[in-house]
Parts: sequence; C-alpha cells; structure tokens
Amino acid sequence: MPHQIAFTAVATVKPESLDALRSTLREMAADPAGNRLIPFHKLNGVHFARFFLLEPTTDVDGRPIAGQLVFMADWDAPLEQRIQELAEVGTEGLSRLFSSCEGYASGGGEPGAAIQYLRRHAVSNAAVYVNTIGLSASQVIDEGRLRDALEDYLDQDPDLRSAGPGAVRRALVDRVASTAELSWAAQPADPPALAWKIRELAHLLLVPLIGVLLLPVIVVALPIWLVVLRLHEHADVALDSRPDPARVSELAALEDHGPVNQFTAAGFIKTGWFRSLTARLVLFLISYGVRHIFNRANLAGVKTIHFARWTFIDGGRRVIFASNYDGSLESYMDDFIDKVAWGLNAVFSNGQGYPATRWLLFGGARNETAFKNYLRAHQIPTQVWYASSSQLTALNIANNRQLRRGLRGAMSDEAASAWLRRL
Amino acid sequence: MTQDPAAPKRAAASGTDGGLENADIQGLVAAGYGRLPAARYLLLRVQNPVAARLWLGEIADRLTNAAAPVTHTGLNLAVTFAGLERLGLSAHTLGGFPPEFAEGMVTPHRSRMLGDTGASDPARWRWGSLTSRVDILLMLFASDEPTLADLEEATATDLAAAGLASVARLDTVDLGDREHFGFRDGIAQPVIEGFGRAATWRDSIKAGEFVLGYRNEYGRYAPRPAVAAGADPSGILPEDVEDSTVRDFGRNGTYLVFRQLSQDVAGFWQFAEREALASGQGSAEKLAAKIVGRWPSGAPLVRAPGSDDPSLGKLNDFDYGNEDPSGERCPVGAHVRRTNPRDSLDPSPGTDKSVTLVKRHRILRRGREYGAPLELNPTGSGRPPVDDGRERGLHFICLNANLRRQFEFVHGTWVASRKFAGLYDDADPLIASRGPGNDALTIPDQPFRHRILHLPQFVTVVGGAYFFMPGLRAVRFLASISRSGAQPGG
Ligand code: HEM
Repeated sequence: MPHQIAFTAVATVKPESLDALRSTLREMAADPAGNRLIPFHKLNGVHFARFFLLEPTTDVDGRPIAGQLVFMADWDAPLEQRIQELAEVGTEGLSRLFSSCEGYASGGGEPGAAIQYLRRHAVSNAAVYVNTIGLSASQVIDEGRLRDALEDYLDQDPDLRSAGPGAVRRALVDRVASTAELSWAAQPADPPALAWKIRELAHLLLVPLIGVLLLPVIVVALPIWLVVLRLHEHADVALDSRPDPARVSELAALEDHGPVNQFTAAGFIKTGWFRSLTARLVLFLISYGVRHIFNRANLAGVKTIHFARWTFIDGGRRVIFASNYDGSLESYMDDFIDKVAWGLNAVFSNGQGYPATRWLLFGGARNETAFKNYLRAHQIPTQVWYASSSQLTALNIANNRQLRRGLRGAMSDEAASAWLRRL
Repeated sequence: MTQDPAAPKRAAASGTDGGLENADIQGLVAAGYGRLPAARYLLLRVQNPVAARLWLGEIADRLTNAAAPVTHTGLNLAVTFAGLERLGLSAHTLGGFPPEFAEGMVTPHRSRMLGDTGASDPARWRWGSLTSRVDILLMLFASDEPTLADLEEATATDLAAAGLASVARLDTVDLGDREHFGFRDGIAQPVIEGFGRAATWRDSIKAGEFVLGYRNEYGRYAPRPAVAAGADPSGILPEDVEDSTVRDFGRNGTYLVFRQLSQDVAGFWQFAEREALASGQGSAEKLAAKIVGRWPSGAPLVRAPGSDDPSLGKLNDFDYGNEDPSGERCPVGAHVRRTNPRDSLDPSPGTDKSVTLVKRHRILRRGREYGAPLELNPTGSGRPPVDDGRERGLHFICLNANLRRQFEFVHGTWVASRKFAGLYDDADPLIASRGPGNDALTIPDQPFRHRILHLPQFVTVVGGAYFFMPGLRAVRFLASISRSGAQPGG
C-alpha cells in the first residue's frame, strides 16, 4: 500500500499554439479515460488526473502572464514509475500537448522527451489533502469488487437469513476465502514503505519542536501580525462579483456526469508582502494538519473530498486550488460554508476580492452568496479530467475498506451485526 | 406589521425584520388553501405584452394575499424568467435574478442533476421544455367546481384579448389528505417564522428561506433583483433592505417550482405485491411503507416499525439520527428520510448541529393531485389494482427563496443521488428516474439488509418550470411598465 503523491507540472504555452492546444484538450475531453492520445484507463496507480489551460491574463499589477498548461495527478508512489508509465501510454498525447508549450524538444515519438519535460516542469504543492493516506488506487478498485461480491453472496443465499449475524459473517468470510480472485482480501493491505513512514513521523514531531523553539519569536511577532492583519482586513476590498452566466454554464457542462466531480480555481494573492507571507504560513499549517491529523477520511467533518491541493504558481503571485469531491458543487460549497469556513477563510482571504473576513477566520465564507460567487468567479474549466474509480464516493471507499477489515479476526455477534450493516 | 399594498409607502430599510408584510405576500406562501378543494392551473404564454400587462393590472387587485381571510376563492400568479422578459422587465433587473432561475429547469446540466433523464427527459415533456415555453402560471382555487368556473370566467376567459395564449390547462382532483399511491400527504412542512403558527425548532424556518427581503437561515438576505429608483417613478416598489438607493423587485416574492409528475399507481402496487411475495417478507403494504418512510395512514416507520398505526397518522415530531441511526425502521433511502433527513446527516448525526444544516435545505410543498384515482383494492381481496390506462399524478409545487440551495439541493443531492448518505446505488425509491446503477433499494434488517435490484420507475416528469411568484407590489410594477414595451431607465 504505497502512499499517494500529488504531482503538478506547469508549462508555458506558446501564444501561437493556444488554439492547437485547446483543440487537443477538446479531443481528449470527449473520452478522458479511453481517448487515443492519453488513454488514462490503461494506467495503474492513478486516482485522479487532469489537464487544464490557464488562459493568458494579467496579474494584479497589470503585468501580462502567458497561457499555461497544467497537469495534475493524484497517484501512488513511486513517482518515477508513474511518470514513466504515463509517458509510455500517452506518448502521442503528451508530445502533442507539449509541442504547444515553450521549450519542448520533441523526442521523435519516444517517451523520454515527455519524461524529461514533466520532470523539469514539476512544481511543488503548498498543501495536499488526501482523504485516506496510504490507500492505493488498486486497493480502491479491488475493495469495490469485494463489496460487490459480498452483496451478491447475500442475495444468492436466502438460507443465510435464518442465521445469526456471527454465522452470516462467517459464511461470507468463508466464501471470500474460497474464491481465488478474492483471497487477497483476507490479508491486510501492505503498509506504506518504512522509510516514508519514518519521514512522516519525523515531520510530525519536528514541526512542533521547531515551533516551541521559535516560541519567543512567535510571542513577539503574533500581536504585530494580528494588528497588521486587522489593518489589512479594514482596507481590503471585497468584490461581490457575480460570475458571468455564460462562464457558469460552461463550467456546469463539465459537472455532475457521475457521483464524483472536479473543481479547479485560480486566484491572485493580494498585493504586498503581508498577504503573501500569511498565505504561505497558513498553507504550511494546513499542510501539517491534513498530513498528520485530518488524514482519515474526515476533513473536519467533511467526508466527501477525495483529494485536494493548493499550489503557488507565477512566482507566488497566484494560487491554484484543485480538488476531487462527491456530489454537486452546491453541496460541496455548502459543506465548506457549514463545516470548514474558518479553514477556507484563512487561505482564500489572502486572495484578491474575497468576501471580508475578521481575524482571518471569521466572516468570509459565512457570507453565503458572496462566497459562492467568489468561487464560481475564480473557477476554471477542467478540460480533461479522469477518475479511475468514478462510481465510488469517498464514503463508499471508506465503507469498502471497513468491509475488508471485518473479514479478519474474531467478532462478537454485536460487532458482526454492525459489520453487516455496512452491506 | 402589515402594510397597505395600495399605498406606495415604503418600509424603512431595516423595518422588514419587524414582521412579514403579509398583505404584499401572495397567499400561497402562507397556506395551501386546504379549505378550497377545487383548483386549476393555467399555463400561459404572452403573445402581446401590452395587452398582457393590462390584464395583469386587473388581475393584480384580485390576487389573494397572505393577510386576507380565505373564504371561497384564492388566486395567485407566478411568472417564468422568459415571462418577465416578455412583459418588459429591464435587462438590468432581469440580471439581478440568479442564473438557475434565468436558465430555467431544462438545461442539460440541470437535467443531469435533477435526474430528468430517460422517460423524464425534458425533450418528452408536454410543457416547459425548450419547445414549449411557459410565461405565466395562474393558479385558481375555489370552494367547489362551480365557484372555480366562475373564477376562471372572471380572470381568464378571453385570453386572446388579454394578449395571452394557453399552453396547458391543468385540472386537479381532491383526494382528501391522500395522494394517488394511497399515502397521507401534506403532513410534514416547515413553518415560516413570523406567520404565527407554532412549530418545533426543527420545523421553524427563517422567513428569508421562503420570502425574499427577509433574513434567511444564514442571517442574510438572498440575492434579489433591483430596479433603479428612476425606473419606478410612481414609487410602487419598496426600497431594498440593504441598499436604499434602489427599489427591490424581489421583496415578498418567492420562487415556485412546478413539476407535473405522472404516477404509475398500478405499477407501484403490483411491484410491491410481487416483491413481497418473492422475498417472503411481510406484505405489499409494508414494502410500500419502506419506500415512502411512512405507512398509508401517515404513521412514521420510526415510531410504527411493525404495522400501520393510524393513531400516529399525523405524527411529525420524530427523528432518525437518535431513534433509528442505521435505518432498520425507516430505510436511509426512503422518500421522506431523504427529502428531510432531519438529524441524520454528518458530521454529527443525532444532534442539533445536524438539524441546523438540514434547515438550510427545506422546501414548502404546495402541490395538488390530478387525474381520477385508481381503486387501490378493486376486488376487496387485497390484490393489487390493474392499470386503467388513464393518467394521474401530482402537480408538484414547492416554494423557496434559493432554488439552488433548497429545491435543487433536495432534488439533486438527496432525491436523485444514488449516493445519498453513504448509499451506493439507491436513488429515491418512490420518485426518482431509474437508470443503470441507480435502481437499487436497500432495506436494512436483521441479520442483514434486503436488497431489491432493478426497481421500476413509478414517477415520470411530464412538464415543469421555475417560476417567480412576486409580491403584489411587484406584480403592479410589472403591469405598470411603460407602453413602449420596456421599462424605462435601467
Ligand atoms: C408523485 C410524486 C411524489 C409523491 C407520491 C410523494 C409522496 C410523499 C408522501 C406520501 C410524503 C409523506 C407525507 C408528508 O410527510 O407530508 C412525502 C413527503 C415529502 N416529500 Fe414527497 N412525494 C412526491 C414528490 C416529491 C418531490 C418531487 C419532492 C421534492 C424534492 C418531494 C419532497 C417531499 C418532502 C420535503 C416531504 C416531507 C418530508 C419530511 O419533512 O419529513 N416529494 N411525499
């Protein structure tokens, strides 16, 4: 069970190639899983992947920014292998896409050039949320099959109904054990690599340690920071900008084709060092929180997000937020407002035009209409989006995992009954 | 605090929180007119805006408001976005309406979200589809059929002269307190805070969830369409609550969702009978109750798990998160449990916090049945009825101030979603459209669930549209739009 990696690559698009790139993306979008250019379904270890175009724009000071092609994947370690497989399976597609970008030396149909290019354009993420750390893409698929099989066994065996919960569970455990394709399910999934676990543990401990060492500095800096923050919050302009209806319908056309959805947004950080610094600090803390605390299928009460990330681009002037979530955008935004408004405020309030906040955490997203308009206005179309388990919600995946767990060991009748309720 | 709608006196910008302006709110918001069993809905298209506005001006004085006592008749009116456009509302004001209302019910995205696919695909609708536009909905209510005919005569006989054409004339039928499948309906409703009716905290909902211009469950005012002060020279409209420089076209109005839902009553009961026999588990009635979440009498499964108990027929003070967390009494996917999950949802089922979240997704149902009922027990033997080839169903109507967060959320995230509350393949067993992967019904039980696959579809959408039911001053304002065909200024 390898850990997941959020990979991001950003490449500048040649101005004269924007149209060609758009049409390549359109071609892929017609069938993200099976398209000829990059048939994602042939790849292993991929949870989600997307390509999108950041249109040419100008920053908050009016400086032009060229169009950029962004590739994002949530996939399983090892990274080198994932990149390699992507370049092999999608040689033609990557070559077409990157030929529209600056600095791509076409490798004459060899994957090598694309691998090089992806590596060179890789960007690190400021914070990455993973619903359940260490749950691999193949495990998600396999455990989905396990659940289907268990459901079918129950339907096929009416006699089970007269048995007690313990006996029913034992019958299911036996069926699984005697089914060759499912025998793996009796064993726990492999844990992530030891070296990785040690690194995570070190991070878990070191960050607070450094925090303690810096305490004297923090004690002095915090009040100053708070004062400056309040000054900024008074001066900042909130824009209740209603998103353009045509844009909204373009975005909506890409949504709700199944139970899982994508969201991509980009926004400029407010001018000045203070907001830049605050955004980085907050994302550092969020990164710590989601890495070590909210990593078990529950992000402060939100159980519908599979993966999410924040990534600085354009030399820190802009932030991309990208996620994979269950249900409609409306329910996603309501979850934000109702459950994690403080977290979103802390990050997004450093962005241009965000609804007014107080003390970084309050207000902001609680202004329902302004917040929903802000998100829609900053959202960008995710032209190509691939999900390997597109029919399973995060709740389904978590439940499947518990079903597999429940196959092992002894259980009281009561526990067996609770386990059977998962079916 | 009520105001005389005829006087162009404006409420102070902050004054509306003192109470609802009942006399400016259309009566359907306050009541379903239970005492007026006869009703008809006229779906109209505007042919001649000038004549239609004149007609509207006459109708405006007859519209029933929420302050008036209801005796023999009731009359209410609502307009689609296209209708407002046709009547000459300015682009500026139209632009203040939210996109879901402007786009209407039948965009491809919305159809996906609401589950209007297959047999319920808008391409097959009788009205409201892209080729069958509706502008105005006139709702007529009366104490009996002759009075209803008189009311129609008085308001909508000479449609051509009124610049209108009929798209559909929808009759209703009075089934008492039952709907066509035979279940008591109209038990559970939110209560608008400020209308004076007592309600539990769970059902008492801020006025702004159902009427524009008042605070909602977030303590905010929903977006509303503004009219520049100069465009309302005679001061018909009230000032906006938050911006005294503009007039509020939306105040005291609400969005009205209309869906004509055809019900396969014979199919429903035959299925229940067949399944009950096949599984050897209880009666057809019990299986049907598991689908609805209440027994035919209305008794909630949470309180009457084994058999119907008519003495609990109107009981509504119950919950799921505490009383039945895993759904062994009332299945998680049952119609009433998913249209109002009460205290059962994450993050903390069984708590007030959970209820608080659900209170932001309530709708006020105001629909009526149509079509002659099918005798449910024709032979007296308990055998299910056979289809008589006649159509029947529900003219589903609901009111809300935020289409996206209320009706569309309830229908999209709860009814049509097969993933509701951790389920896998179970869309609403009673009313959802079926397709591969969303036609299962899971009925929790001991030692393990019953699962029914390939549930048939019992309800088909045959028409629908989003309307705005304006406050009475806004209706008068519409009627007053200048004869040149467009509202002056912007
Ligand atoms: C032909 C179609 C429908 C039938 C036969 C039907 C039937 C019923 C019945 C029998 C009840 C229980 C009585 C009650 O609690 O008042 C009920 C409740 C309810 N229905 Fe429907 N319904 C239909 C369509 C819809 C639609 C389209 C919606 C909107 C999404 C909806 C929303 C609700 C709500 C919100 C409740 C109340 C739940 C509660 O608060 O406990 N229904 N329905």
